[in-house]
Amino acid sequence: MRLSADVGGTFTDLVVEHEDGRLELFKSPTTPDDPATGVFDVLRLAARAGGVSLERLLGGCALFMHATTRATNAVLTGGAGRVAFLTTRGHPDILLLREGGRVDPFDNTVPFPEPLVPRALTFELRERIRADGTVHEALDEAATREVIAGLGAAGAGVEAVGVCLLWSIVNPVHEERVGELLEALLPGVPYTLSHRLNPSLREYRRASSTCIDASLKPLMSAYLSSIGERLRAAGFGGRLLAVTSQGSVMDAADLARAPIHSINSGPSMAPVAGARFARDEGGARTAIVADTGGTSYDVSLVRNGRIPWTRETWLGPRLRGNMTGFPSVDVRSVGAGGGSIARVDAGGMLHVGPESAGAVPGPVCYGRGGTRPTLSDAALVLGYLDPDFFLGGSIRLDARAARAAVERHLAEPLGLGVEGAAAAVLEVASENMVHAIEDITVNQGIDPREAVLVGGGGAAGLNCVRIARRLGCAKVVIPGVGAALSAVGALMSDLSADFSRTAFTTSHRFDFERVNATLAALEAECRRFMSGRGTGALEQGIEFSVEGRYPHQVWEIEVPLSRPRFEAPSDVERLVADLHDLHEEMFAIADRRSHIEAVTWRARATCRLPRSASGRLVEAPVSGTGSRRRLASFDGMSRSDTTVRRLEAMREGEALAGPAIIESGFTTVVVEPGALARRTGAANVVIDVRSGEGDS
Amino acid sequence: MTGNAQRPAGRGIDGVRLAVLGKRFESVASRMANTLLRTGRSGVLNMARDFSCCIVTADCELVSAAECYPIHVLRGADLMARAMMEFHPELRRGDAFLHNSPYHGNSHAADHAILVPMIDDDGVHRFTVLAKAHQADCGNSLPTTYMGAARDVYQEGALIFPAVQVQKDFRDVEDIIRMCRMRIRVPEQWYGDYLATLGAARIGERAMLEMGRDVGWETLAEYTREMFDYSERLMIEAIRQMPSGRGVATATHDPVPGTPPEGITVKAEVRVDSEAARISVDVRDNPPACPCGLNLSQACALSACMVGVFNTVGHRVPPNAGSYRRIDVLLGEGTVCGVPRHPTSTSVATTNLGDRVTCAVQRALAQIGEGIGMADGGAAIPAAGAVISGADPRHDGEPFCNEVILLGGSGPGAPHADGWLTMLTMGNAGMPLVDCIEVDEIHHPIIIHERRMVPDSEGAGRYRGGPGFRVEYGPVDCDLEIGYVCDGSVNPAKGARGGEAACPARHYRRTVSGELVEVPDSSAQYVLRNGESVISYTPGGGGYGPPREREPALVAGDVREGWVSVRRAREVYGVAVDSEGEVDEAATRALREAGSEVARKG
Repeated sequence: MRLSADVGGTFTDLVVEHEDGRLELFKSPTTPDDPATGVFDVLRLAARAGGVSLERLLGGCALFMHATTRATNAVLTGGAGRVAFLTTRGHPDILLLREGGRVDPFDNTVPFPEPLVPRALTFELRERIRADGTVHEALDEAATREVIAGLGAAGAGVEAVGVCLLWSIVNPVHEERVGELLEALLPGVPYTLSHRLNPSLREYRRASSTCIDASLKPLMSAYLSSIGERLRAAGFGGRLLAVTSQGSVMDAADLARAPIHSINSGPSMAPVAGARFARDEGGARTAIVADTGGTSYDVSLVRNGRIPWTRETWLGPRLRGNMTGFPSVDVRSVGAGGGSIARVDAGGMLHVGPESAGAVPGPVCYGRGGTRPTLSDAALVLGYLDPDFFLGGSIRLDARAARAAVERHLAEPLGLGVEGAAAAVLEVASENMVHAIEDITVNQGIDPREAVLVGGGGAAGLNCVRIARRLGCAKVVIPGVGAALSAVGALMSDLSADFSRTAFTTSHRFDFERVNATLAALEAECRRFMSGRGTGALEQGIEFSVEGRYPHQVWEIEVPLSRPRFEAPSDVERLVADLHDLHEEMFAIADRRSHIEAVTWRARATCRLPRSASGRLVEAPVSGTGSRRRLASFDGMSRSDTTVRRLEAMREGEALAGPAIIESGFTTVVVEPGALARRTGAANVVIDVRSGEGDS
Repeated sequence: MTGNAQRPAGRGIDGVRLAVLGKRFESVASRMANTLLRTGRSGVLNMARDFSCCIVTADCELVSAAECYPIHVLRGADLMARAMMEFHPELRRGDAFLHNSPYHGNSHAADHAILVPMIDDDGVHRFTVLAKAHQADCGNSLPTTYMGAARDVYQEGALIFPAVQVQKDFRDVEDIIRMCRMRIRVPEQWYGDYLATLGAARIGERAMLEMGRDVGWETLAEYTREMFDYSERLMIEAIRQMPSGRGVATATHDPVPGTPPEGITVKAEVRVDSEAARISVDVRDNPPACPCGLNLSQACALSACMVGVFNTVGHRVPPNAGSYRRIDVLLGEGTVCGVPRHPTSTSVATTNLGDRVTCAVQRALAQIGEGIGMADGGAAIPAAGAVISGADPRHDGEPFCNEVILLGGSGPGAPHADGWLTMLTMGNAGMPLVDCIEVDEIHHPIIIHERRMVPDSEGAGRYRGGPGFRVEYGPVDCDLEIGYVCDGSVNPAKGARGGEAACPARHYRRTVSGELVEVPDSSAQYVLRNGESVISYTPGGGGYGPPREREPALVAGDVREGWVSVRRAREVYGVAVDSEGEVDEAATRALREAGSEVARKG
């Protein structure tokens, strides 16, 4: 048996995977002060449901996958350790300036953001390496010792150290020496060296990831060892794996040594699960994976079976927060979820989000003091949600209050009926979501019409058909386990490790020797990983790629390598052709006369963990036929009598033509008129959004 | 107040359609911008984002623009689209036009705009999409795109394209491409940027076609009318919250060859009529154009005035033809900041004097009342943002020519916040990315020794200006030619409403022996030898409101973080900060009381 626990902002999800591949899903409120308590709460829930003791449950568990928002929250709320930043002399303001840029040219009410590490804790070292790796000025050891001694002085309160020197990625000699001095002079204080953690070009990103990583070390190593001990004390004897931002898992002990992997790790699992559902249920290798929560709508992508990554993940608002600078699954988030507030502005325009009613007070219909209408309230007004069966009946919704709020705040100023206003909220929210999806697809040359839309999270089903139609996607997949997409994704993920090295070369003066040496070194690192942590894996593999570009461009694109070494000029020609093709696919143009530049070489070692194939949810039995009728509105005008089916009661292969609603204990799926929903053998819902209409 | 209650009943504004289609237009513009950013070859595009993408109606009214420099886009797209239609009355799908003429609506010769008329399936011209990008080189007589000392457009030397057809049936008009390749330095880089700009325009065209086919052209036309009305209403609302009054302010650009010895002083008269909900900016009373490159183009003069206004109202009002109905900008003919007559040079129109006009407008607004206007931003553009060129010894002497954006002017103090550090110029409003040290060093044979904030260089104020920075760089194993036209060394950024002036810009050359030598601040074009470097002190921004009214906790924070010295905190801000970096409340009270005593006696 395997377990996957995902500690989210509101709920802690647990998925139990039995030996025969059946999945069970449990949810319990997150306990922010001590997240482990929430994990044990949900474990006890699972044990109780299975009629076994906690010890028995844990004792039978071979692999325990764990994802937590702890690291992300710590950075966002300033709860991470007090870190000192050591940098090259002359460049103390790397973290302050970031990479410039501003979101709104006319908003002069927003102050310039604070640096990740205060200037008062930033120290310059006398040293300089040049772009070609030669030493311009040798490291001044005496001065460096003095700086380090100062960090250790009483009152400095430094809990960790981040070291990022210019061009350490080309010649790490100075960073390595600073590391040795830190070991010797500040024993026990964790530190991170930039070239080891994130050997990539661009000092701000490298420095930021280095300092984020260092600042998380005290916290995350304590957290991970504590939860490991508590699990073991409760009978767990298996392997504890932590979910990473690269959509894979790693041993908890390794994560404690590089905790930046944990940032945004939960959301990175959604496309892992999405890829599987898109393939198995949609027959597609390209998928848009949308995870709808209470406050945000997270969109990620599967492109030809691969999950795209980015270094431009921001913690906090774009350009004003801090960029992690660390490769992670590309997940875009917009402030559009069930709790997003709808309002009409002074000019008469309807807005939905980004402001959210959050968990407290929550939507008006929760009856916890919320007064402003939200997306959930609109869905309730339209009859999409059942006031008596929301989250399986765990929360009772106040339909009258929701209606009153929609009427007063939206219908009146818009000059519409209440249903019309509620439908408008869904329409605008859907458009915001479409915008987020276009941002990640069309902007990268992916045609959404060729993709399957996979909807996860409790609220995904409300408007997924609408969104799919707007994007031109033919098919929507709503996994039965979609409400815990991330936790399920962890069970489907691989153990992996990424390695990269910078070795600049160009296609017309290709440095075969240097490139092959770099690839050989990367391969050796991969092999070490595979023969260590990867022992016992079902399958192992190495994928090579390079971040390349046209001359004078500064943004690279990742091109997979077809061979592990460059032996003949034809190998280089192949790479050049691949970059042209990819550039054209992504940006609609290619400069085929141009040579190309290669910057950073990457290798990913993947070890497939033993796992089951089914991904099928164990369902609670439903009494009766599981079929009811309810008034719902699909045209924003009137409400009409509509079929409502319980997912658990639908037969394998059973089809349901819209207008209709499918409900389960975790989610609601609105089948718009003209769409045809079908329950599959694996207990998922697949919707053909175009049947009946829109064939034109 | 014009709230919903006062919305004319039955006028059929559709708040839902407005939201949905607004998002879609935004999506088109941002898709265009993304293409340009990701595929542009030169640093001015892919780092500095010195480009703009926008959509105008067939009547040449601005509908929507992507996040970009205001000086680039507030006005000009309308004028350029009009020129295109005048010169090419018959437009066909597949056409594209190259436009860089400052005499026909463009900003300056270095900005190459591609205009694509979007023709629907019935052959009707519905919208024009426009992508405009600053070039690393535009064929000037010197390797710089900012020719401060150019007597006229002939001495600039750039090829001028007044809406010239560059594509027909989606294929390049090769004659034009060949002309550019013969005149523009590093032609491959130019062609790469041309492709990126064209790609952006074509992507915008395609997206607009899809949207029109999807929702219908009549609906889109109705939407644009509604959007304009909506934006006008928000502008009315914003102006009604401002006090009425009249303000007049001047700003002086440092002298360069071709200007009077004291430089150029521009004057702006601003009137706010809160009741009528109108703002007028009058810059007619200004000197005639000078025989130098500082003069503004019509597009830049209009935009510079409007930036000064939008800096007060803009974050709540979308800039488009609807909100513009409430702003009257009055320009003179043939003045330094009006409508230029050919062959007046406008080589530097997007930065230097334009910023001075913006600053005069926002200080005039600040005179009218508390809570509006701003101080001066740090002036444009120090050597930290120079155009550098030479032959790269790492690549067999391959020529290079590019603008680095290591930093620029710091932002002005505003009524509710301190100056934005990476403002660079008022006209680009902090939108550019700032260069990475490592990226610059891999692209050019240079080493950047320093980029560090200079303490105590800010304009003090209740909300202070951003401080200046010290940036030092030089060539590696070669010589490096650098060119820049820096303002603000003689006339540093002024404060507003009792705020103080900032430190000026300064420049030095460090010789091989380490000695510091004075070099020109403005209109500089010289060669740094191997082992030498240029030191650029970038100009700080002015303060807003009296410094002694600044929140003491903010002053203590500035001291702890090394922005302001303990001494300056005491003498200028009247705040005593103890050795722990905390405010000494009693001593601060005493200092501030003594200060106001002095003020009363004075």
